[in-house]
Amino acid sequence: MRSVWAVAMLLVSLSLLGPLLAPYDPTAIGLANRLSGPSGDNLLGTDALGRDILSRLLHGARWSLGLAFVISVLGLIIGTLAGVLAAQGGKVVDWSVMRVTDTFLAFPELIAAVVIAGVLGAGTGSLVFALTVTGWMRYARVARGIGLSLQTRGYVVQARLAGVSMASIAWWHYLPSLLPSLVVVWTGMFARAILGISALGFLGFGVQPPTPEWGTMLLDARIHMRSTPLQMIWPGLTVVFCVLAINLAGDTLRDALAQEEKQL
Amino acid sequence: MIRVMLGLGARAAVVLAGTAFATFALLWHAPGDPALAIALARFDAQVPPEVVEQIRAQAGLNAGFWSAFQAWIGPLLTGDFGRSSVTGREIWPDLVTAASYTFPLALAGLAIGLALSIPLAIIATRRPGGWLDRGAVALASLGAAIPTYWLGLLLILLFAVQLGWLPAMGARTPVHIVLPALTLGLGVAASLTRILRSGILEARSQAFLPAFRRRGVTPNDIERAHVAPHAAVPVVTVIGLELAFLLEGAVILEVIFARPGLGTFLVNAISTRDFPAVQAVVIVAAVIFVCVNLLIDLIYRVLDPRIGEHDA
Repeated sequence: MRSVWAVAMLLVSLSLLGPLLAPYDPTAIGLANRLSGPSGDNLLGTDALGRDILSRLLHGARWSLGLAFVISVLGLIIGTLAGVLAAQGGKVVDWSVMRVTDTFLAFPELIAAVVIAGVLGAGTGSLVFALTVTGWMRYARVARGIGLSLQTRGYVVQARLAGVSMASIAWWHYLPSLLPSLVVVWTGMFARAILGISALGFLGFGVQPPTPEWGTMLLDARIHMRSTPLQMIWPGLTVVFCVLAINLAGDTLRDALAQEEKQL
Repeated sequence: MIRVMLGLGARAAVVLAGTAFATFALLWHAPGDPALAIALARFDAQVPPEVVEQIRAQAGLNAGFWSAFQAWIGPLLTGDFGRSSVTGREIWPDLVTAASYTFPLALAGLAIGLALSIPLAIIATRRPGGWLDRGAVALASLGAAIPTYWLGLLLILLFAVQLGWLPAMGARTPVHIVLPALTLGLGVAASLTRILRSGILEARSQAFLPAFRRRGVTPNDIERAHVAPHAAVPVVTVIGLELAFLLEGAVILEVIFARPGLGTFLVNAISTRDFPAVQAVVIVAAVIFVCVNLLIDLIYRVLDPRIGEHDA
């Protein structure tokens, strides 16, 4: 569990403090010093407009990690509401909610996100909308599954017979049982959101220049692959590092959860 | 079984109808004037307002939402995807050409993924927890964290730019498929290895296997008759899940490797705001996806008869 906290602290501090640690302004253009390799002044070199790559990576953390956090939490809220609604609402509601979930699941998420973000016009708002709309279904499935199994538990039945409202039952009885599993799903979706943001940015449908974002940086770097291949390595490595750390933290959480369930 | 198939079929139909409606609604409410976009794409210069209005009438954009939806979905049900609003060409033939580039890429990716992951999983599970096993798991975790497009760029950098062994851009010769297919295949292999590995380990822990062993059934026979079929079930499901990855990967990799295909077609259609073409790609992708999943659901039930007959 200590490793999970370490990863969480690292990512939070990277997105909060990253911009403060950056040695230069990430959008400051210096054409005299363009496409330079790593040096004492620019630890990771500069891009095609002479902007410091390290500074752009550090500022980009706020966009890439921050937006991924927003997207995954929005998905968590929407998906949990849908799942709990399906579990509590009876057969007809359940059927309709799950068919809507199926419809959204029936399509490769990234392609749907590309279509939505592209059609709505490139920009941060469309990006968040596109990835949220395509990223809530897993939460809904998990929440519904656990919710249905709670439906027949003694304390839930008693609460219902005592006249406690659906909303209160959902809040006081469902949420505490759902949260551990949902958090595990959330780590996976957080990692997916980072990948999704960078993929859309790479295709030009994401965060728009000159804002530094890891995927957009890769798009810029791609053209200069022959002359300065290193420029393309850094943003990619950063994405891989973050996603890997989150996935491993998620695995640890899942194992801890499974252990706890075994003990019960 | 017939009831199950009917249930699954009905579910697929609902999903497809939902996708069609959602796509149309999204494009209908998209910001910007579609008639103006078409005019700009066709004439590439200042267009007088009368021409824009003429295009609007021609493209049926004056109609209300529901009549426009009917005008689109009616011909679609008979297989008519209409014409591109930018080029005026029929969409279906172009879509078939694009698919003829995407399908081989996706299949080659899947084949490479299976060819890499099956031996790797078998070797890894020979001694669970050993260094080979841990290495395979680490590789798989790393593979799951690498964005497909970045892996593609790295492979271009290594094999095309530095070594000059393989061509990277376009699809002129069959050799051009190697790099994108390898990129896809490595991604597929990462997730397949993980799932195969846990599938094999789970199959080995079945409660009745020690009984067979004590009765003198050879380990090889146990592996062949009891472990392999059990481990095969998740693989079939996973190929269904991988389909999403293959399609997504193909879309992005086609852009990177400048290959013609459904991905390039889609991205071009979005950039030129050619909405009939966008709709067509989305519908075709949804049909492929739903049909393959339906098929996999059925295979799954045949492979493992314990899977509920009643839950469809």
